[in-house]
Amino acid sequence: MANRLIKYFFIGLLLFPFAFLLLLSLGRGWAYPDVLPQHWTVENWRFIWGIQAGLGRSALLSLSISLGIAGPVTLASFVVSKFIAYDRHRRRWLVLAYLPYVFAPVILAACLQGFFLRAELSGKVWGVMVAQLFITFPYGVIFFSGFWNEHMLAMEQLVATLGGTVRQAYARVLIPIARGALMTCFFQVFLISWFEYGLTTLIGVGKVQTLTLKVFQYVTEANIFYAALASCLLVMPPVVLLWLNKKYVFSRVG
Amino acid sequence: MLLQAIDIKKDFGQEEVLRSARLELQAGEMLSILGRSGSGKTTLLKILAGLESPDSGQVLLEGRDITRLAPNERNIVYLYQEPLLFPHLDVFENVAFGLRLRRLPGEEVSDRVQRLLESLELPEQADKMPHQLSGGQRQRVAFGRALAVQPKVLLLDEPFGALDTETRASMQELLQHIARKFDITALFVTHDLKEAILMGSRIGLMQEGELKVYENKQAFIGDTTTGVQQELDFWRGLG
Repeated sequence: MANRLIKYFFIGLLLFPFAFLLLLSLGRGWAYPDVLPQHWTVENWRFIWGIQAGLGRSALLSLSISLGIAGPVTLASFVVSKFIAYDRHRRRWLVLAYLPYVFAPVILAACLQGFFLRAELSGKVWGVMVAQLFITFPYGVIFFSGFWNEHMLAMEQLVATLGGTVRQAYARVLIPIARGALMTCFFQVFLISWFEYGLTTLIGVGKVQTLTLKVFQYVTEANIFYAALASCLLVMPPVVLLWLNKKYVFSRVG
Repeated sequence: MLLQAIDIKKDFGQEEVLRSARLELQAGEMLSILGRSGSGKTTLLKILAGLESPDSGQVLLEGRDITRLAPNERNIVYLYQEPLLFPHLDVFENVAFGLRLRRLPGEEVSDRVQRLLESLELPEQADKMPHQLSGGQRQRVAFGRALAVQPKVLLLDEPFGALDTETRASMQELLQHIARKFDITALFVTHDLKEAILMGSRIGLMQEGELKVYENKQAFIGDTTTGVQQELDFWRGLG
């Protein structure tokens, strides 16, 4: 009984911030010391699609950027990490991959800003995507560096002696074996991109309004209802991805 | 002559691994190569399989120079000490793997795999996943997967090294049986003296990057440098 109570308590504790955000997004006129908002309305949610707020557009933009980053970065880092893992200078390459994390992303963005201005990528969606590659791609490389080992090399060589090409080795052995790792990497890179603030602010110069930026904007405006609404939208895709991960990745491991 | 290695030389940095290795292998023959760890046995096998390039020397298969040929075009299968079964495929699909790569018709794949599974005493295990098999069963599946593609030469790199004594003995027996049945040409690398004598129709001794292949088992046993005499003396001494 006590165990069950503790379990529900912790579940409640974990879900409370999300429930609270949802509550805030549906409320209006919530003044201290009221326990609940004075009015309940779905107006805030209608506001998502309003032209002025542009929240819907920001959500779609964030989704496009994050999916556009997560897919290619997962695949590219999977392949590149293999070459790094089997290279004589493996450690040197991996140290380089850690560099963007030694600096904070904001400092990295400040260092890169001049180049982005010259390349006319500043303030553009493409620019933000390229900037995000500087942190997500090394992450992917580090993530997969443990995957490539003597065992995987032997498997690949075995496929070759059985008559398989490199492409067949990837399609029939390496990718199916790495499926769980690929999905996890996709999920994590998506999250890094989705919640990215510093790089996006500096390289996007306020013109690339992702959902994360919108949340901060509403918070600084002290618009708690819209901030809550934007936050609800912000946590939705990660929750969906987490559910997919749990369903298709962790269930396989189990 | 089916397979010839002529004056194979290979260095790794400053280390001279193969000095001038030569061997000749007749069709249907199983040659045991005995040698200590680090004597260059695996490197020689990998060069024959195309997984390593020699610094100099030639590899001929049926008289054709295959020294620079990619491993997937040689039809020489290299088997590791570990069975390396593909964990996402069941036993049937593991054995069928090479045939699927060649895009053979489904019926032919099914027939060949079924026959192999029966020869390897594995028909009951066809639907099982690799993690559900014992060590010996896994190694048998690995043999089946290699034999399915009907390789010209099979390179076995200490294939029973990870097995317990009892399983090892039964696997040695099984390999001898299937080698006769499928007329396999193979190089069998081991560091176990008894296994080398048991498995090979001839024996080669790899020492300090050089391979000495004996004409027959008697010549090998008679050579005092092979360690066979010391082994025999030990057992006689116990008697």
